[in-house]
This record gives sequence, C-alpha cells and structure tokens, in this order.
Amino acid sequence: MKKRYWIALIVLVLGLCLSAGTYFLSGVYQKDDVAVILDKPIKDRLVEKNKDVYNNADETREQTLHLKILSGEHRGHVYTVKNVYYPSQLTTQKYRSGQRVFVNIKKNDVALGNPKRDWVLVMVLTITIALMIAMAGKHTIALIVSMALSWLVFYGIIFLDVKLNGSMIILLFSIADIVLSFISLLIVQGLNKKMLATWLATLLGVFVSFALCYLIMRLTGESEMKYEMGDYATQDPRGIFLAQTLLGVLGAVMDEATDIISSLYEVVKIKEDITVKQLIQSGRTMGQEIMGPLINVLVLIFIAEALPMTILYLRDNNSLGSTFGFTLSLGATQSVISAISIVLTVVFATGCSLLFLKEKERQGELK
Amino acid sequence: MSTLVVLIGVLALLMAIVGGETGIRSFFSVLINTLLLILVAILISWGINIPIIILIFIPLKLVTIIFLGTHDYVVAKNSFYAAFAVCLMVSVLILFCQWCAQSAGLGPESGEILVGLSQMPGLSYPMIAVAVAIFSCLGAIAEAAVAMSSGLLEIKKHHTSITRQELEASGTAIGNDVLGTSMNTILFGMFGSFLSLFLWYFRLGYTFGEVVNEKLFVNEALIILYSLIGVLLTVPFSTFLLARGIGKHEVKNENRENNVN
Repeated sequence: MKKRYWIALIVLVLGLCLSAGTYFLSGVYQKDDVAVILDKPIKDRLVEKNKDVYNNADETREQTLHLKILSGEHRGHVYTVKNVYYPSQLTTQKYRSGQRVFVNIKKNDVALGNPKRDWVLVMVLTITIALMIAMAGKHTIALIVSMALSWLVFYGIIFLDVKLNGSMIILLFSIADIVLSFISLLIVQGLNKKMLATWLATLLGVFVSFALCYLIMRLTGESEMKYEMGDYATQDPRGIFLAQTLLGVLGAVMDEATDIISSLYEVVKIKEDITVKQLIQSGRTMGQEIMGPLINVLVLIFIAEALPMTILYLRDNNSLGSTFGFTLSLGATQSVISAISIVLTVVFATGCSLLFLKEKERQGELK
Repeated sequence: MSTLVVLIGVLALLMAIVGGETGIRSFFSVLINTLLLILVAILISWGINIPIIILIFIPLKLVTIIFLGTHDYVVAKNSFYAAFAVCLMVSVLILFCQWCAQSAGLGPESGEILVGLSQMPGLSYPMIAVAVAIFSCLGAIAEAAVAMSSGLLEIKKHHTSITRQELEASGTAIGNDVLGTSMNTILFGMFGSFLSLFLWYFRLGYTFGEVVNEKLFVNEALIILYSLIGVLLTVPFSTFLLARGIGKHEVKNENRENNVN
C-alpha cells in the first residue's frame, strides 16, 4: 500500500477521535450551556391534528424532555422542558434521546436551542481531508491552505464591509476578487508563467463580463429585479446582490481558466510543432466541453438554495409565476450573469494560452 | 422588457458564437436543467414521495448536463458512468450526515419571511434538505467528470501512442488541477450564495460557537464538503474508466494489425 494511503488512514482515525471529542465538548461555548437529553425513549404526545387554510395536513406534537445540564453554574441540575414541534420541521425542531443540545437558563426557565451540530462538521471535514490525501498526496496541504486562506480573506472582507457599512461595496468586492484569485492560484500552481496567464484570464473573464452585464442591467432599467426579496438583508440589498454576483462567479471562472490553460500547456509541451490555429481550435473544443457543465454547477448551487422556500410557496397555492418572482428571480439572474462570464472566459483563456506559444518561439529562436 | 430576459438573450447569443453547435446545446442543457429543478419543486410540493423523486431526477439531470453539454460521445459516456456511481455513493453519505446534523428547515430570519405562509406544510423538510444537498453537489460531480474525461482525451488526441501508465500519470496531474479549482468553484459559489447570511451573523454578533452550530451555516458548510467529496471520488473513477477503455482499444488495434499481417 502506498504511503499516502497510510497517512490518509491515520488522519481519518485522528479526525474521528476529534469528532467524538467535539461531540462531548461542553464548557467552551460563550453564550449557552450544553445539556443532554436523558429520556429513553422521549415521551411524544400528539396534541392535535391540524389542517390550515391551504388544506395542508400536519400535526402538533409535544415532547417532554428531561435535561441534565453539563456546563455552567447550573451544572448537574435536571430540568423538565416541553418542546412543541410539527413533524414537517420547517421552523420547529424534533429532539432525539441521548442528544446534546444548547440551553439558555434564565431564572430557572430553560429555553431550548440548537442541537449540537459542530461535531458533524468535524466528522465530514475529516472524511474530506482523508480522501484528499488519498487522492492528491502532498498536494493536499496546498489545497487546504488555499481553502483556509479563502475563508480568512472572506471573513476580512465581511469585516471591512460592515465597517464601511456597505458603501463602495462594488469596489471592495472587486479588490477582493483580485486578491482572492491571486492567492488561490499562487498556492495551487506556484508563481510561474502558467499561473500568471491563468490569473490574467480570470480577471478579464470576471470584470469584462461583469461590466457588460452591469451595462445591460442599467440599459434595461433593472426592471423586475426584486432586490427586496434577498434574504437576510442587513444593508442595501442591491449592493449585496452585485457583491454576491462578483464573488460567486470568481471560483467558476478561475476553475475554467485553469482547466483550459493547464490542458493547453500540456498540449504545447507534448506536441512540439503545434500552430496558433490548432491551439485556438483545441482551446475552443475544451471550452465547449467545459462551459455547459460549469454553468450547470453554479445554476444548481444558486437555484437549489432557494428550493425549500419555493416548495413552501408552491405548497401554499401560489402560482408558478409569482413563486418564481418571489424566490427564484434573483438566483436566476445571478446564474445568467455567471454564465455569461463563463462563456467569455473561454475566449480569454484561449487568448492567454497563446502566450506560451510566443514564449516557445522565442526559445526556438535562441536555440 | 425585463432585465432577466435580455440577459438570457445575450447569453444565448454568446454561447452560439463561442460554442457553435455545442454551445447551443449547452444553452438548452442549462435551460432544461433549471426547468427540471423547478419541476422537482413542483412535484415535492404536490406531496410525492421525495426519495423516489431524487432517484428519478439524479440520472435525468446527469444526462441533461453531460450528454447535452458535451459533443464528444466517449467523453459523455465515461463522464456519465463515473458521475452516476459517485452520485449514488455521495447520496448515501448525505442521508447519514443530514440525519446526524438535523439541519433542515428555514433559518433564524424565518419569522419575517413566513408572514402569510403556512408553518405546517405537511412535508418532510429533513428529506427536502437531503434533496437540496444532493442536487447542489450533482453539478460539481458532473463537471469534474467531464473536465477529467475531456482533458485526458485531448492529451490522447495529440499523443496517440500514449500507454495506460502514462495516461494514468497525466490523469493524476489533471486531477490535481481539477481538484484545486473545483474547490474554488464550489467554495466561491457558496460564498456568493450566502454572503448576506454571513453579513447577518456578523452584524448580529453571533459567536463562533453559535455559528458552527447554527442550522443554515452547518447546512452550507456540509454542502461544500459533500461536493468536495464527490469531486474527489470522481477523479480516480473517470481516470480508471478512460484508461480501461484505452486498454481495450489497444488490444483491438493490435488484433486488427495481426489480422492484416
């Protein structure tokens, strides 16, 4: 067995231990205390069967929970709490026996909070990293560092944006795009001609197409753009929408530029006597193959996100048209703008890979 | 005319110019794919069994993405097999992890949005969360499968006498690049999709401990990880399928040469 499989196995075992540790972790949370549900099984009483105005049949159920507090000043106390939930669990939560949950205790009044979920994150992250080591070997370090740095920069941008209170949001996220793409490409590819060509193609792809789409939006007067339907709006929703678009497409454009340029680079390396025309043809073929699936990736991410809300609107007898306007139109617009960037990137990436050929000619002349 | 319609028109035009016939087909693949997702929403809202819908729509969506989006039949066939196998594996993982995480339903802002909407829709939102997770990473898996297969075939085209070992080595090299950057598509796609949620956490002063236990954040982070796992599994699967195909071809060619001799 190869060495990297052993390392992957070790990481997996360590990570699973860490997940178990996180599961039992209780004293470190700042705001809430952790409690464990003692009942086995939980007493679960049907309160009533409901039928709402939309003819949706559901139930109201009540769980009686005995909670033993595991942290904070009430440690060791046992409280009895009633939890009302609807089996659809749209906004309510059904608890399980033996589960650890967050509680907020104020004057002997216990408010139930989230179940502990952090250990699931650690577990799945472990599986991902172990698989990554098994597949990519040493390369994993670069990938993880790049991902961690992206999160860090992302956090920094949010911090800055809140500090600026949403002003100059387009400028802020444009700079963020430039910095983020440079860092990611640098870590994964190292500083070389291939990486610089990819970076150039990425920036052209993002900004030229964003400018084009912004122009189209202004010319059509941004009609039927329901910015106010954006969720969790804590500042100007139009600014947030534009920032989301700038940020959301960056990864895909980077992905595509890297795919096209690194494949063409391999082609130039393997086939010595390739002409400009052949290279452009190769780039176009690659681009054609990749752009459809890549656009689909983003469309699925942007639209699947709105699925729970869409289902609820449809369930409540809203027409397809009004449901689309309320829940899907912003995601769809974001998808289309991203798609335009992805298509234009084929042109820029192929153009930038012509630089390799130029370089080769120069080397040829020197010889 | 609405902005969205004009943007879609521009997209169709660009895809036709840059992609030619394949571009037009890709455009329809995206369109059909979006409509399929809306169809999923409609069917679920009618109360049809969600696992059955998932099982029917996984291959349906993969076919739309892969066969309509690529013009090379060998690329498409390889990508489809690899992507389908990986999707099923990832679905099992998602089912298990979503059960552990219990992160279904709407988030903390829900009270505000839900005015006038039913809070008891009589649908299983835990199952809907599974469907959302599966459909979110389906695209990434299909994309990785196509990028791997088409990259390897492009090398094969320019370097016809390549052996299986050489191709597997090239596969690892391309795999690493695809991996590094698929990660970016997924990560930034999610950043772009959930920027307002992160701003909300920040402005409302959520602590780190609260955020990593919060329903929507956990859901998002998990979807990023499921997609990465899917992509990771796709790399060796597509290389294996393509290298095997080449092995067969070589044998056939040799046989033919022998016959001629």
